[in-house]
Amino acid sequence: MIEVKNVNKKYGRKQVLKDLSFTAKKGEITCLIGINGVGKTTIMKAIMALTPINSGEILIDGEKIRKDSFEKITFIPDTIATLPQMRIDEAFTFMADFYKSWNPQRAEELLQFFKLDPTEKIANLSKGSTAKVNMLLGLALDVDYLLMDEPFSGIDMFSREQIAEVFTSHLIEERGVILTTHEISDIEHLIDKAVLIDNGEVLKEFSVEEVREREGKSVVDVMREVYRG
Amino acid sequence: MKNYLKLVNFEISRFFKLYLILIGLTFVCQFIGAIIVSKGYMNRADQVMYENQLSVSQYIKEYGTFSFQQFVFSEWFVMPIFFCIAMLMIYVFFIWYRDWFGKNTFIYRLLMLPTERINIYFAKLTTIMLLVLGLIALQLLSISIEIQIANSIVPVDFRTHFPFFDEIYNLAIWGWLYPNTFIEFILIYGVGLIFVAVLFTAILFERSYGLKGIFFSIIYGLLSFGFFIVPLVLNGIYSNYFYTLEIFLMELVTSIIVLGSAIWIANYLLKHKIRV
Repeated sequence: MIEVKNVNKKYGRKQVLKDLSFTAKKGEITCLIGINGVGKTTIMKAIMALTPINSGEILIDGEKIRKDSFEKITFIPDTIATLPQMRIDEAFTFMADFYKSWNPQRAEELLQFFKLDPTEKIANLSKGSTAKVNMLLGLALDVDYLLMDEPFSGIDMFSREQIAEVFTSHLIEERGVILTTHEISDIEHLIDKAVLIDNGEVLKEFSVEEVREREGKSVVDVMREVYRG
Repeated sequence: MKNYLKLVNFEISRFFKLYLILIGLTFVCQFIGAIIVSKGYMNRADQVMYENQLSVSQYIKEYGTFSFQQFVFSEWFVMPIFFCIAMLMIYVFFIWYRDWFGKNTFIYRLLMLPTERINIYFAKLTTIMLLVLGLIALQLLSISIEIQIANSIVPVDFRTHFPFFDEIYNLAIWGWLYPNTFIEFILIYGVGLIFVAVLFTAILFERSYGLKGIFFSIIYGLLSFGFFIVPLVLNGIYSNYFYTLEIFLMELVTSIIVLGSAIWIANYLLKHKIRV
């Protein structure tokens, strides 16, 4: 389980995260929802120790992040997290060199699924393909937790569909996923838990299925209540 | 340790193309220079001898022989060296900033590697040192080639026979690049290493705290420099009070403290304060 507990963070005088707490379980897809600039990316960076926090605590399976944690949790940022001048297969070699959890069979499988050519230079790929490679480099790690920042934004419809397919496949099963989005409609049916965020605060944290069954509401319905009500 | 070596290999390969270009430019520029300077001397000699009807020995008596130093003091030789030094100085900064800027946000990957983050720092530091030492070794090679070039153009009668290194050492920069003794080597390159380490830590201050970080960097840099020169200042104030060995030992201690604190601070910043 990933536990974010009472996290506060300031950029200069601006408070970007306010006493923010939520949890994300293994085997579930947790979605951080909020408009741009409410601190979603900052939360992910904070979990990965890529940005400092002023107070609070973040635990991964009960432990603070350390070097071995990076074999257990990975982050797929919204920009490519490898050198663009590398070819896809060179990026694979790099990953295999450093990560024990790199799974070459899975990488190969994903390559075929996304229909990518391993000898292609990453810098020459289209935006959609670059996003796929970026996703692939994270998904091919045998980690327990995956953080994905806006995996659906700025790419074409078909790439989007392909990526959505990944979520319902064995590639994600059993793992814990935290993803951010500012448009929920495409992926509403995929997620288990929603965390609504505004101005660095958690407004509401709920199980999508429970709300659907008990109150007959969709995520969008709840959002409307919370943000406009 | 294994990860550190992999990172060193990786960092070197990232600069390698540019490095080869740098080496190529230096060689080409110096070789052309060696030809032009030697030919220039011969042309002038031929002209003067022809116009004044001088023999070779008369000419040499009046105008002097050709020494390789004429080439070593020329801009053909010195400019590429300074250019290489300048490029490497720029790369000391670029080796960090390239991971943050542009389309390239490779710093995400580097900081998410399952290894101590300080290894990134050590790998970059090692890379800079290896690049410097590599250039210096290659310069030694190019000089011996340039001597051959000069010798093939200037006939033996016109040349001063000189003990190679004695002449070369007249050029101040040379004494620095090629220390005479092992101790000097350690001293000069040790100071270089500390200098780069402190700069790296200053860069990490900026990367961790933004604009405020530049202020911290400057304070930190001044403190490190100040502390580093304490033994030398003491020696200046109380001249003849300390033995050379005492100064040396004091300097050794302050060096270790400055280097140690640079590494310690860098480790702390990379672990807890760095921002991407």
